[in-house]
Amino acid sequence: MENLHELIAEQFFDIVPFNIAINDRNLNIIRANANFKEYFGEWEGKKCYEIYKKSPHQCKHCRIQDVFNYGITNVLNESGYDKNNRLCHYIVHLAPLKNKDGVVEYVVEMSTDITETTRYQREYDLLFEKVPSYVAVIDSNYRIIRANKRLRETFGEIKGKHCYEVYKKRKKRCRRCPAAITFKDGRDHFSSEIGTTFSGEETRYYVNTAALSKNEKGVQLVIEIATDITEITELQDNLRKSHDYYATLIENSEEGIIALNEKNKTIIFNNSAKKILSWNSYKKPVYNKLKELLPKEFFGNPNKKGIIVKKEETTILDTKNNEIPVRFNAIELRSKKDILGRVAFIQDLRIIKELENKRLEAERLGAVGQTVAGLAHTIKNVLMGLEGGMYIVDTGLRQGEPKRIVEGWEILQRNFYKTTDLVKGFLSFAKGKIPTLVPTDPNQIVRDIVNLYYETAKSQNVELVMNLGKTSYNFPLDPEGIEACLTNLISNAIDAAMMREDKKGRVEIRTRFKHATLVFEVSDNGCGMDSEVIQKIFTTFFTTKGNKGTGLGLLTVNKIVKEHGGSLEVESKVDEGSTFRIILPLKRLEMIAKQAQSKKK
Amino acid sequence: MKKMNKTVLVVDDEADVRNYLQSALVNNGFDVITASDGLEAIEILKKTIPDLISLDLVMPRHSGIKFYHDLQKNKAWSKIPVLIVTGHARDNLGKVDFENLMMQGPGVYLEKPVKPEKYIEKVCLLLNIEIPEELKKKQEETEDSVRQQILDSLSKADTETLKKAFEALNKK
Repeated sequence: MENLHELIAEQFFDIVPFNIAINDRNLNIIRANANFKEYFGEWEGKKCYEIYKKSPHQCKHCRIQDVFNYGITNVLNESGYDKNNRLCHYIVHLAPLKNKDGVVEYVVEMSTDITETTRYQREYDLLFEKVPSYVAVIDSNYRIIRANKRLRETFGEIKGKHCYEVYKKRKKRCRRCPAAITFKDGRDHFSSEIGTTFSGEETRYYVNTAALSKNEKGVQLVIEIATDITEITELQDNLRKSHDYYATLIENSEEGIIALNEKNKTIIFNNSAKKILSWNSYKKPVYNKLKELLPKEFFGNPNKKGIIVKKEETTILDTKNNEIPVRFNAIELRSKKDILGRVAFIQDLRIIKELENKRLEAERLGAVGQTVAGLAHTIKNVLMGLEGGMYIVDTGLRQGEPKRIVEGWEILQRNFYKTTDLVKGFLSFAKGKIPTLVPTDPNQIVRDIVNLYYETAKSQNVELVMNLGKTSYNFPLDPEGIEACLTNLISNAIDAAMMREDKKGRVEIRTRFKHATLVFEVSDNGCGMDSEVIQKIFTTFFTTKGNKGTGLGLLTVNKIVKEHGGSLEVESKVDEGSTFRIILPLKRLEMIAKQAQSKKK
Repeated sequence: MKKMNKTVLVVDDEADVRNYLQSALVNNGFDVITASDGLEAIEILKKTIPDLISLDLVMPRHSGIKFYHDLQKNKAWSKIPVLIVTGHARDNLGKVDFENLMMQGPGVYLEKPVKPEKYIEKVCLLLNIEIPEELKKKQEETEDSVRQQILDSLSKADTETLKKAFEALNKK
């Protein structure tokens, strides 16, 4: 036993895992162990505060003095500086060493470092308060025993309240409760919840529960960390709304829209696309099916601007193998540098073509209507002629002048023939039809007419000149209709040119094909027309030829040209002559040719 | 036939109409000059001032309304009475011109077709001379005839009605 006492006295001091120092009444450190020296540095001949606090002054409230005075043990949580002058935290037990009389002679200071622990504590507290979540610790009765400021500020006072009262403002536990499961199995659990804030607003949060402390009876405390996702939910909501917005636009667009993603999966196939392609399945067509239906260019590579194909007019096949006239545009879909896929915009031209047909029809009927209005005038003129003829015959008979009788009779005859012509012309004019267009050489029509009129014109001092452009193309034309038009214009031109007093009448007929448009021109060097006359020549039975004309010629020309989808232009200058121009865009000719074919079918 | 000692300038682009009106006037003792359009008429006016101008409205080159405006610009010419003889009083082609002219101008017109008695009657009216006796008789004779009725109703029918009638016929 002696031996043990000695051993303890010698070694115990240095092997205990504390820093031990002994102070006298003057606060001098008179002895310390190796751990102390290791922790606080050289101590011999120094005062306690010089070592613990690295301070030259005694502490304001000296705890050692307390022990000397009252003789009781004191435990303190202190901070000071270690031998490297670094801030350190330690727990220190101050215990009196008393002599036989019970007087405190020395004070033993036993300290242990808690710097690490303190830091962890601080970190935990910091985390607890500053984490952008609601944090609560609840006991097995679901009572909140601790909560961070954020939670208290959002959900209100927690003192003595259950978690369901705080989070949901309800009186009973929730049916589905992640904390309950954690209490049971000790594991982490998650759940998405809707709570009610202090001010009664709905808030959405995502909660994570974890066991905080366990004993043999099971989990005692659970920490609940809830993250507010109200904003995220709102964002998701907005995203969904914006998605719905565009989806509705796409779905209801009159244009057919078909989009493929970068893996050629069909992502968009809207209602109009279904209609145009007569697609009846509720499933979107797959890539290979689309390859059969859409122009092959759609599956090719885009140009630098991302345009894959741009066709003002083309045809695609619907699922029933019908050719559908469409406008077809396609572009690559890009987001910054990423390629997202490709999209085709298809406009059904059937409706537009139908409208165009209706417009043509309306124009034609409009022309007929105007003609009917003009008819009244023409009838009046014929009646005037008949009235005049009768009167002159009458006069001739009464005065016994055979010359007058003949004169009057001629007037009567002219007006009778005029009536016949008028009726014939009008009937052919009113007969509306879609012309049958067949491949025709426009130059040949001109040559035939010029051959026919050349001699007649020459006898009236008018020279007929042809100036034919190179048109190797066979145009879809109604040869009879075009011949009627040109005959009309040429005979008008000859009539105008023959009026020249110098007998140098000249009529030139030109053809040309430029910018996908066929043009016929008939020019004369006759008297020309002023703007007033030009305005009137198409509108009624206007004639500048006195008794010779019915006023139907130009109306008929206009009508035939319109049936070809073309237009008729006039340029004229008084005393210089007139030019009539028939303009026929090839595109419309082809369209009408197709239409007539499909009507035949 | 009494000599009237009055000269009438007939301006009309249709030769048959000129011939007819000329005959009617000559038969009733008037002197007649004719012109086929406004420009020709102006050339004539430069040489002769007639007592009356019988004027068609719609003519090529120089229309009746232009010619009428030319008349108004010239002091001597503006005093000549003008009788409008037109087929266009009610249709799209002549309506606007006609109405404008009536607002400012002569106020007397005849709508084609024109009966010779009516024509001479208006000419006399404008020249402030007495209507020839034989003409009065003739007028009474024909006044009630069915032919006259048809002619009158046809000449006065408006184009809208004619259009409808034509459409109805076309449907059959």
